[in-house]
Amino acid sequence: MNASRARTIWSIVAWTIVLAVVFPLIWMIVTSVKPQAELFSIPPTLMPETITFEHYRRLLTETPFPRFFRNSMILAVTTTVVVVALGTLGAYSLVRFKYRGRETLATLVLFTYLMPSVVLVIPLYLMMAKLGLANTLASLVIAYTTFALPYALWLLRSFMTSIPVDLESAALVDGASRIGAFVDVILPQAFPGIVSTALFTFILCWNEYLFALVLVNSDSVRPLTAGTMNMLITSFNIDWSLLMAASVMMSLPLIVIFTFLQGTLTKGFGAGAVKG
Amino acid sequence: MIFEKVRKTFGSTVAVHDLDLTIDEGEFVSLLGPSGCGKTTTLRMLAGLEEPSGGSIRIGDRVVNSVPPAQRDIAMVFQSYALYPHMTVAKNIAYPLKKRGVPEPERSERVRATARLLELETLLDRKPAQLSGGQQQRVALGRALVREPQVFLLDEPLSNLDARLRAHMRAELIELHRRIGRTMIYVTHDQLEAMTMSTRIAVMNAGVLQQFATPADIFHRPANVFVAGFIGSPVMSLLEGELTRSDEGDGTGPFRVRCGALEVALPAGLLDRSAAPGPISLGVRPEDVLLGSGAHTATVGVVERTGHESIVRLDARGTPLKARAPGDTPTATGETVRFSLRVERLHVFDAATGNRLNADAEDR
Repeated sequence: MNASRARTIWSIVAWTIVLAVVFPLIWMIVTSVKPQAELFSIPPTLMPETITFEHYRRLLTETPFPRFFRNSMILAVTTTVVVVALGTLGAYSLVRFKYRGRETLATLVLFTYLMPSVVLVIPLYLMMAKLGLANTLASLVIAYTTFALPYALWLLRSFMTSIPVDLESAALVDGASRIGAFVDVILPQAFPGIVSTALFTFILCWNEYLFALVLVNSDSVRPLTAGTMNMLITSFNIDWSLLMAASVMMSLPLIVIFTFLQGTLTKGFGAGAVKG
Repeated sequence: MIFEKVRKTFGSTVAVHDLDLTIDEGEFVSLLGPSGCGKTTTLRMLAGLEEPSGGSIRIGDRVVNSVPPAQRDIAMVFQSYALYPHMTVAKNIAYPLKKRGVPEPERSERVRATARLLELETLLDRKPAQLSGGQQQRVALGRALVREPQVFLLDEPLSNLDARLRAHMRAELIELHRRIGRTMIYVTHDQLEAMTMSTRIAVMNAGVLQQFATPADIFHRPANVFVAGFIGSPVMSLLEGELTRSDEGDGTGPFRVRCGALEVALPAGLLDRSAAPGPISLGVRPEDVLLGSGAHTATVGVVERTGHESIVRLDARGTPLKARAPGDTPTATGETVRFSLRVERLHVFDAATGNRLNADAEDR
């Protein structure tokens, strides 16, 4: 009896936490489909009395939102590809090849995290301007790569360390070249790690605000975060309905990705603990 | 396969020290030694996974020092098996063929043939993680066999198996070698494996080759104190002593050995002509100590009974010895027994160099 009561209490606690976490998300969705008139009604309605997709229509047809969305997509995908490609090869080199200063290099890479990114905004902006990259998506790709890559390197390094050297030796003896062994054996083994790293990088780029705000300043290249804020939040007025609709749309890609990659991801997060 | 003055250093540590070794085609050679003796490094150099720091390695007529592993006609079985976890058994076995461009119908045909040989047919669609240790071991063997290479390298392939399976696989490997007749080089720290399977054994210690000979030679004519103290179960007793020679006028009389209170006259011709009086180590195998009667007496210490035999520890007035006796020997701890030595089977080693002084040392 005691045990069942304890279980009930735990359930209540767990559900309370879940509700607390989920409530803002639900509120966001609910607000995005409420008509303007119902928005500030007192008492507030938890479930909308009438459901409207008017805000979504306006967002997609009357604002530059689709372009922001496209910019963010290009930005996040490009950065992720660059970071994963460089990170995988770099981590492999850190793990397998012996060269002078290898450990120092690995530590130095982490040092970049000691610096708050705010400090880097202005120098980076000036550099981009000098390079003629100011106000381009490329400048953001470079900026995001600089802070996603070190993390990716360390994450992938720990994944690769857990891959036994013998596997690669076996592939070499079996007739593979070094690159062949890397592709046939290392990549499949590191795959969950690569997926985690890719996801991490993607989210980082998708949600980044500070650099997006400073490095680009025209709507044609603004990503979602900076673009939406700039468009909908002015000193005089916040268009809540549109903002919430935009927020829902911004969350969609991540929700889709998480749903599809859940299996691989949990495998990735558990790796290192148990070796099969 | 010829090793000539092969050296391997890692930083300032010497893993393999000027190794000279000639292995004939079709041999089953074991590299035997304690951990860290350089046997695995030697194997990895042969595989092309490590490059020698000096000397040359030849396979056939070709110096292969810096030939990549893929271009040597070798296959290797790893201690960890190193099966590719993301591939099925069939794909694991097919991988070396695939990498060598063997076309598809032939590839699956050869995979099936190998699987049949190793009784893996029903497991071809499984992943390595779904196999038992013994099955994984057979897949690793299969991956090496399927290519029919010139040389097989095996790095402690049985050490992760339980005792029963190990005995079984030992017999399988002997049979396999007999059937395919290819050169096999086998790294192990288990003398039983080396003794039972090899045509010749290379005993290594601290990166230095100690002796390269047939199992019988290694056992009966150990080249030095290290080999003597490494081979045999239990190993021979090694006693510090003094070699003397009775004068008989010209100093050519019979040799005598004194180890503490134990004094033995050596039969004529046992020792090499060059042997000179001085400090030596005397090696006595437990089977050469005969309990019951004889000129010597000792107190019985611990008796280890294994059923078919008993290992009796003796204290011959301060000199420790071991004797192998029948399983039902009545000897009990604390008793005083008489014993004799088979003097013609004693091993005498120079105390300074550790080298064998017996007359048969040369023809090893």
